[in-house]
This record gives sequence, structure tokens and C-alpha cells, in this order.
Amino acid sequence: MTITDDKEFKLALASLPVERQRQIAVAFCRRVLDLSHDARVKSALESAGRADITEAELQLAAHAAHAARVDSFAQCGSDASWTAQSGHFVAKAAQACVRIAVPGESIAWDAAMQARLARTCQTVAEGLGTENTEAREQYRILETFLQR
Amino acid sequence: MTASLEKGVRVLKEVIDAPIASYFNSCVHCGLCAEACLFYTETGNPKYTPIHKLEPMRRLYEQEYTLLGRLKKTVGLSKPVTDAELGEWQELVYNSCTLCGRCSAVCPVGNDVVYMVRKFREGMSASGNAPEGIKGAANRTITIGSPMGVKLPAVKAQMKHVEKDFGIPIPMDVEGAEYMVMLSSMEIMNFPEYLGAIAKIMQHVGKTWTLCSTAFEATNAGMQIGNSDLARVIVSRIVEGAEKLKVKTVISPECGHAYTALRWEGANLVGRPFTFKVQHIVEVLGEFQELGLLKTEGFEKVRLTFHDPCQLARRGGVIQPQRNLLNMVAKNFVEMPDAGYMNWCCGGGGGASAIEEGEALRLEAFKVKKSQFETVKPDRVVTACANCRIVLEEGLEHYQMDLPVVGLTEMVADHLVAKGA
Amino acid sequence: MNEMQLLTWVRGPGLNLAVGIFVLGVLWRLFEIYSLGRKKDLSAPRALPGASGWRTIFRRTLPAEGMLKKAPVTYIAGAIFHIGLAIVVFLFAPHIKLIQSLFGISWPALPSQFVDLITIVTLVALLVLLADRIMNPVKRFLSTFEDWFTWTLTFLPVLTGWLAVRHLLLPYTTMLALHILCVELLLVFLPFTKLFHAFTVFGSRWFIGAINGHKGVAV
Repeated sequence: MTITDDKEFKLALASLPVERQRQIAVAFCRRVLDLSHDARVKSALESAGRADITEAELQLAAHAAHAARVDSFAQCGSDASWTAQSGHFVAKAAQACVRIAVPGESIAWDAAMQARLARTCQTVAEGLGTENTEAREQYRILETFLQR
Repeated sequence: MTASLEKGVRVLKEVIDAPIASYFNSCVHCGLCAEACLFYTETGNPKYTPIHKLEPMRRLYEQEYTLLGRLKKTVGLSKPVTDAELGEWQELVYNSCTLCGRCSAVCPVGNDVVYMVRKFREGMSASGNAPEGIKGAANRTITIGSPMGVKLPAVKAQMKHVEKDFGIPIPMDVEGAEYMVMLSSMEIMNFPEYLGAIAKIMQHVGKTWTLCSTAFEATNAGMQIGNSDLARVIVSRIVEGAEKLKVKTVISPECGHAYTALRWEGANLVGRPFTFKVQHIVEVLGEFQELGLLKTEGFEKVRLTFHDPCQLARRGGVIQPQRNLLNMVAKNFVEMPDAGYMNWCCGGGGGASAIEEGEALRLEAFKVKKSQFETVKPDRVVTACANCRIVLEEGLEHYQMDLPVVGLTEMVADHLVAKGA
Repeated sequence: MNEMQLLTWVRGPGLNLAVGIFVLGVLWRLFEIYSLGRKKDLSAPRALPGASGWRTIFRRTLPAEGMLKKAPVTYIAGAIFHIGLAIVVFLFAPHIKLIQSLFGISWPALPSQFVDLITIVTLVALLVLLADRIMNPVKRFLSTFEDWFTWTLTFLPVLTGWLAVRHLLLPYTTMLALHILCVELLLVFLPFTKLFHAFTVFGSRWFIGAINGHKGVAV
């Protein structure tokens, strides 16, 4: 199938079982991983990417991602660094990947949105404006994923 | 006297009024203000005693405004205020004070110590003795228009993101809208979900609202550094925007000091009463609730507690609405000790969280919040200030406490019944 | 100068001088402080019935929520001292007689043995406050010469008065003269030290109450 807009995108993601959602969430994160310099984010993603991950390992990864997120908040009154903020949203995307999903919640959609935010921060930081192709790339990833 | 010290002294002389004179003359050195200040109670260091943070101002008052003080000065018996001394006082006036106001709440003779610290900061900043972290914010306010340097394109990016995520359009520059929504840089950067929550709520209650492209920034660095001229720049922009768009009410976001700056200091800064109402988002939601406009479903079942942002509750008078709102969406809401008017500060307001050198002190002061949480043992903490959220999360992270912090507006939005469902 | 001459002096010229300085001092200081005025608050007020300057004048007499356990000595000894002093000054028969002779008004006195007991309690409270000022790190840090001086100015009249009534230490005439002298010193220095809080406490509490009442916060 081809995905042309967010409505279809969101529906398709929500229809996936949790394990598959986690896998595609990781794929979305991998696209923006280079925007984060935090080793904890990388390690959290690596854990989440493993199909045989246990709940205990998920917890550890969640702690790592949480710490990375808290450490990367923009401080009130500080100089806004959209580059750094980009890393903050990568951490949030990683958190979505390692969350224990609540029924009805789509961790893949959450990860996708946070990854898009990370990309937007980067383009804002580079003065390229707010338009970017992250969403379309995510559609491509999902299309390929659904064929498997 | 250096040029800037002279400026600082002149500014200080201007801000001293009858209340301040009355306060200085009433202080009996009882030390109770220290017992209310988290920077003293958690460190045990008496130099953080609130009234002591004002010592140079007190001496200046005595030397300039009392007969005896002036006589002492003439015969060389009084110690003048120096640049070095103001430099020394920087830590006391900024790093160890968040303008939380607990000191004022307890003084038995009625001294409004926080009022005096706020005025003292005017002199400190005019003499060049404000911390680098906040000076930067002040400069960016002038040069870029936002203390954190957040410009319109960034706001538009967040708007677009939120529109996609929530599926609701975000209006901008709509003339005649009932509400003009302000954002703080913190929300634009850290919590875009807040904007989504607003959009959801406004759509639910059927009220018209808008952002303003020339006045989206509510954070007032002028307030924090203590520079009224700067504070005025930000407020003027908001007034212009609100009047141009002819809105009825300007909504101050989940940010404490933005509310104080706009709601209480704003009119005095621009020199005339506002032609529009100013309300904190929590007040607006409280009103919607009272009018029966909020239809919610489901309840949070986890154990929740509320952290009162100082500028909203103690300093701003908004104490009950947040509780009514929480009881509407939660079954297990418990109060922490000293909740409400006397709640303890998160330790990061008033510009404090922007001061890097003050981090160790802030984390020590956080022990009081830690002990509140340890007593009430919540599963989650709710608050209504973006800065409190971050400061709380950082403190909790530092003390290895596993406790999520969430915003009240988002929580309410999450429970709204979908219209047409 | 013998004790009779001292007594005559403190009852006559001394009293006139002290009261004169006191009255003029109080008036001048009140003017000096309150003539500075304050700017009108242009922000829209939030009405809250009961939040006002007047309410705060009374409310601040009681400890703020949660504070009593943080500084029990300050609150309890402070309260006992203030109330004790008021009772001793205004409900002791010889004092009421003095006021009657000066202003023509009077009221019933408390039994002298009761006042004697209150005086001892007041003295103890003052000593406890002194000890606390020395031992409490915040009070010790804040205290200057003025704090020790004003403590002494307050303690001595109560002590000398009690010694005089009890006919202790020195002959009655001398003790009485010393007592009146100590009171006169207290009067002379009151307007120009922290003791002036006796007058400014009303203004300060009113201001903080009004400023916060404007925001709908009852303090």
C-alpha cells in the first residue's frame, strides 16, 4: 500500500501489534539518531531494536532514555540552541521506543512525531526553515515495513 | 563611583517607597524569614536569610532617606555601598532567591521581603551586577525579541507539528478572537504538547482563540533580572498585539513569572490600565469548569499530587482552581504537606535555573521538595509551570527518584470527551 | 547628687526631656517613613472578601501555617514577653495612677501579686530571647550592636521596676529613680532604633496586606 497522508499513516501504525510497533519506532529513531550525541540514547535504541528484549532490559533502557531527556531540557532563560533541542527530541523518541505500551496507545506514532520534531529543530537550527521531508521518509519506511 | 554603580544607586533610590521604608524600620532581626526560605532550611547557612539579602539596600535607604543616616554619612560614620559589595551580593539576590515569597508570608511584623528583593534587583541589574545567565536572556530579549532567542519561524514549526499531531488547526493573528494565547519559550521548545492541549480544549468549549505573530512570547526576562525597562518592552508588545487583535482576554501560559509580569506588573510598567483581561491558563480552565463547559470522561487512577507554582498560587492568588480541575479528572489526588499557599518552591524560578553556577545550591535546596514527595508518596506529580516541571524532573533525576511530572493543562485535555463521538 | 535629687530630676526635667524627644521623634520618624508614598497600582484588582491591610494587621500576630514548629522559642517567648510587658505597663496600679495624673483617664488594675508574677515571667522570657539570640545561628548572624542595646533598654526598666517594688538591691528611692531613668532612656531611643517597630508594625502589616489583597491573596 502507499501512504499519502498522516491519517493513513496513523491508522496503519495503530493496527500493528506492540512488538512490530517497537521495531518501526526504532526505525524512525534511527533516521534522526545522528542528531543526538548522547550515548544513552544510542544504547536505549540498540536494546529496543532487539526482538528478544525482556521487560527488565526495557526498564533499564527506559531509565537511560529518561535521563538523557531530562539532561537535555532547554533551561529557562538560556540561549535557545535548536541543535541541542533536536537531541532532546531524539531522546523523547527513544523513550517512546522503550515504553511499555498501554492498550490504545501508539508508541510508533509517538516516536514518529518526536523524530519529526527533532528533524524540524535541526532545520530551524541550520536556518533552512521549518519544511522538511521527514514525514514523507517515514511513510516510505512504513510502506516497506508493511510488506515484510 | 563607577558609572554603572552610580546608575545602580540612582535606580535604587528611585524604587524605595513608603512600604520599603516601613519594612526596613520594622525588622527586629527575629530570623523567622530564614526558617521559611528553602535556601536556608536546606543548607543551614545563615547568609541566605532573606532580609540579609537586602543589606546593601537597607544601608542605602538609611543613608539617603533618614535624618540620622544622613548625619552619620556627613560625619563619615556610615559604610557606603560599593561595587564590590554588590558583586558579593549577586549570589544572594539571584542564585539563592527565586522570588517565591515564603519569607513575606511569615514575617511577623509584615515585611514584604520578596517585594524588596524584586526592587533590589533593579539596582543590581542597573549597576551591572546581575548573573551572566540572566544577562544573556535580557540581551536576547532586546536583540532577538525573546529571552531564549525563539523566533517566529520556530513557533510556526511547532504550530505545524501540533496541527499534524492533534489534527486541529492553530489560528494566528485572528482579529476579534475572544482569547489571545501566549506561550513561554520553555513550552515552545520543550513542551509543544501544551499548545496541542490548548487547541483541543478551545475546540471542545467552542471558544475562539488565536496566537499573535508579534507577541507570542510571555517569558519576561526583565522581571527576573529586575530591569523594568526590559520588562516593559515585552509587556508593551503584548499590549499592542492584544489591542490590535481586539481580544477580550490574554491567556498567560503555564509559566509562573510570566503571569506575575503580565497580570500584576504589566499595567504599572506601561503606565495605564489594560483594556483586556489577563488570566492564567489555570484560571481560564477553572472558569470553563465552573460554567460546565468541560465534559470529561475517565479518571486518572494513580496517586497524584500537585506542586503549586509560587507565582501562580502564593504570589498570584490562584490556589483553588487547580484543585477543582484535578478532582474532575482524578480519583486519587492527595495533597502534599504545606500544600497551597505555603507550598515550597521548586528552587528554579525567578531566573535561578538559568544560572549555571547556582546549580549545586538549587539541588541542595531541592531536598525540601524531595521530603514532601517522600511524605506523600505519589505516583505522579502534576504542576502548572513549564519551568517547575523541568526543575522538578532534574531534581528528581538527581536524587534518583522515579516520579513522572506532568502538566495540568495537558492532563485536562487528555480527558476531554471527543465531540461528535 | 543624692537619691532624692535624682528622683526629683527624673520625675521632672528628665521626664519632660524624654517624653519630648519621644513624641517629636515618633512624629518625625513616622513622617520620614510614610511621606515617601507609593505608586498607585494600575493592574486590575482581584476581589477577595477579607483580603485587606486591616485583616493582616491582626492576622500577622499569629504564626504562619507550619511555622510554629520551626521556631517555637521565637514565637512563644516573643508572645509571652510582649503580652507580659503590656500587662505590667498598663495593668499595674502605680502605672495607672501615673497615666491618670497625666491624662485624666484610668481603669481597674490587676492585683499586685499577679503583676509581680507576670513581671518575673516577662523577665524570664526576655532572658530566654537573649539566649536564643546568642545560640540561634540566624539570629546570631543578623544581630548587631543595636540588637543587644535595645534588648538591654527593654530589660532594664522591667528589672528595675520589679526590684523597686520588691525593695531589693538598692534603697527604694534610688531604685525608683533608676527605674524611671531606664524608662526614659527607652523612650529616648525608641523612635531611632528597631524598637520603632512598635509603631511601624501597623503600617508594614497594612501595606503587605493591601498589596496582596489587591491580588486576591489574604495574607
